[in-house]
Amino acid sequence: MTEHSRDRSGIWQVVPVASRFTIEHLILLPIGALIALVWANTEPESYYQFTYAISFVVNDVAMVFFFALITKEVVESTAPGGVLHPWRRTMLPVIAAVGATAVPALLHIELVGLLDEPMLGVAWPVALATDLGLCYLVARIVFRRHHPLVPFLLLLGVASDAIGFFSVALASPDTDVRLVGGAGILAVAIAIAAALRRYKVKSFWPYLIFAGGLSWYAFYWSRLHPTLALVPIVPFLPHAARDPGFFVDAPEGAKDTLSRFELWWRYPAQIALFFFGLVNAGVSLRALEPGTWGLPIAVLFGKPIGLLIGAGVAVIIGFHLPHRVGWRELLVGGLVAAVGFSVGLFFCTALLAAGQMRSEVSMGVLLSLAGVPLALVAAKLLRVGRFARS
Amino acid sequence: MTLARGRNRALTLLISAVASAAILAQAPQQLPNRSGSVKFAAIGDNGTGDKPEYEIADQMVKAHAIFAFDFVIMLGDNMYGGQRPNDFVQKFEKPYAALLSAGVKFQASLGNHDQPSNVNYPPYNMGGQRYYTYTRGSARFLALDTTNMDQKQLAWVETTLRDAKEDWKICYFHHPLYSNADRHGASVDIRVRLEPLFTKYGVNVVFSGHDHVYERIKPQNGIYYFVSGAAGQLRKGNMSPNPAETAASFDQDQSFMLVEIAGDEMYFQSISRTGKIVDSGVIPRQKRAEMTP
Repeated sequence: MTEHSRDRSGIWQVVPVASRFTIEHLILLPIGALIALVWANTEPESYYQFTYAISFVVNDVAMVFFFALITKEVVESTAPGGVLHPWRRTMLPVIAAVGATAVPALLHIELVGLLDEPMLGVAWPVALATDLGLCYLVARIVFRRHHPLVPFLLLLGVASDAIGFFSVALASPDTDVRLVGGAGILAVAIAIAAALRRYKVKSFWPYLIFAGGLSWYAFYWSRLHPTLALVPIVPFLPHAARDPGFFVDAPEGAKDTLSRFELWWRYPAQIALFFFGLVNAGVSLRALEPGTWGLPIAVLFGKPIGLLIGAGVAVIIGFHLPHRVGWRELLVGGLVAAVGFSVGLFFCTALLAAGQMRSEVSMGVLLSLAGVPLALVAAKLLRVGRFARS
Repeated sequence: MTLARGRNRALTLLISAVASAAILAQAPQQLPNRSGSVKFAAIGDNGTGDKPEYEIADQMVKAHAIFAFDFVIMLGDNMYGGQRPNDFVQKFEKPYAALLSAGVKFQASLGNHDQPSNVNYPPYNMGGQRYYTYTRGSARFLALDTTNMDQKQLAWVETTLRDAKEDWKICYFHHPLYSNADRHGASVDIRVRLEPLFTKYGVNVVFSGHDHVYERIKPQNGIYYFVSGAAGQLRKGNMSPNPAETAASFDQDQSFMLVEIAGDEMYFQSISRTGKIVDSGVIPRQKRAEMTP
């Protein structure tokens, strides 16, 4: 082997390690967002022309697979060993999620009014978003892997995002939604997925092409966001008997349909996420006005406070907080859940057309990333998670 | 570094002030004030309820006495701060009371500081719509909502412009497609969507606000652009005139515009809070061939 070929093999060994690291730590989305910010503020004409040209393919087609993989994590977590199994465990975080979504949404509406940009009030569903991947990653860093607050926060995030998706559909301005016809087409798509499962079809491709394709058309025709096309289809893909854990990759040899789907699509979905950041995070800094601060302030204050209120109500009703979870842990957890990032940017694109409103709210979503360092500082100050006194 | 930046800033302010003085020194273009012509005023970013808004309104009343414009186009941010019933009185009905009682019609577009529900405020004449169209004489006007430029609105703009048979096509909205003010500048994200439609369907003139200055842009792809966002607010010294784009600018005081369309010519004046004509001119109606889609 020559020196040159040894170097090349060294590089090729690094590639899978680097790509795995990039994917596991969800780095492609922030990279895309960072490039977008620089590009939009240096060469805006070419940035907007390029991103408008590809926005439909990225936002309405490619991102389908990212949300399908998120759905896959949720579906698997209903299996034995998963955080959603049994369902009774979910009740407390679901009740808490009502508080953790209502308070930041109301705060957002109030704040943008006070900041003299009442038009931004229509973006209140963005305040509901929680980036599940980032939430999990940060929660693991702050609380360590096996702390009971980690699954609690994931459930809270799933419930908050679910409320958010419904709110986006309800709050979308100027959309003549065709729900009845769309629901009919979607019912056919779901029936196809159910039939494929009944006949024990193991390949994910028929689910994707026939049921997924029709579902995409149903969403598109209804004028709802087709990005969610695979969300009602993924639950019909046969999955493993036990959940390997949230955001735990399926082993290469996995045979079940859902795991094969994940193995095939995890890299393309990350590439989609990169382009999603590139297309949607390009905000002209000169477009920003004081109203931009409405969203980050609403979520960074509203999520922890809302979570405390929601959890308090759940406890009063008779539910019990998990072991080792008190108000200090919930406060820090609220800051972790305040980070909307990918889901927040998605809500922005679903709710708002290009223009100043979307620019300001998207920047607000990016500013809510401050929840990550704030959670670490709060954890240290309150001595919780990895900073707890042993 | 900071010193150099400070020097550049001082130089920009000096150029801006000299440019404003040069404009003031020129003999202003008089409005022909012909009977049967289309006469209107333009105000942007006016709704502060503060003294300068009232002073601009007084100048509009004085102008109306000799140049009886029929309507006023509002370029957005018609209301700042609170937008309760009393605010509508203090920030709109009182300053423009004389014009309203003289039967002058206000035709609003909304900006980022306006309540979305203001589309239903009767004196704004928006008919409950974020974007709408109307004709006056030989001119077709389109009032747009650039705070949320969705596909539905873009499709409507295309259809309306395509079907318009009037000689003049005039669009107005809040965010400027071209601007050389430091605070905001051009809204390029909106420009890449709207400008191809404007050139394709022969829009003649575009009015915007948002930047709290006055700027007249040299024709871009055959279209004349005005920024007039200082009828209440003002960002003094905020202009950084760009020789490639700026035809004239004024950032030393509040201002509003008077416009007259007479046949194939559009006359305009920009008037300051103290009543000085800070820019004026005449625009010949462009022929389609002059536009470069």
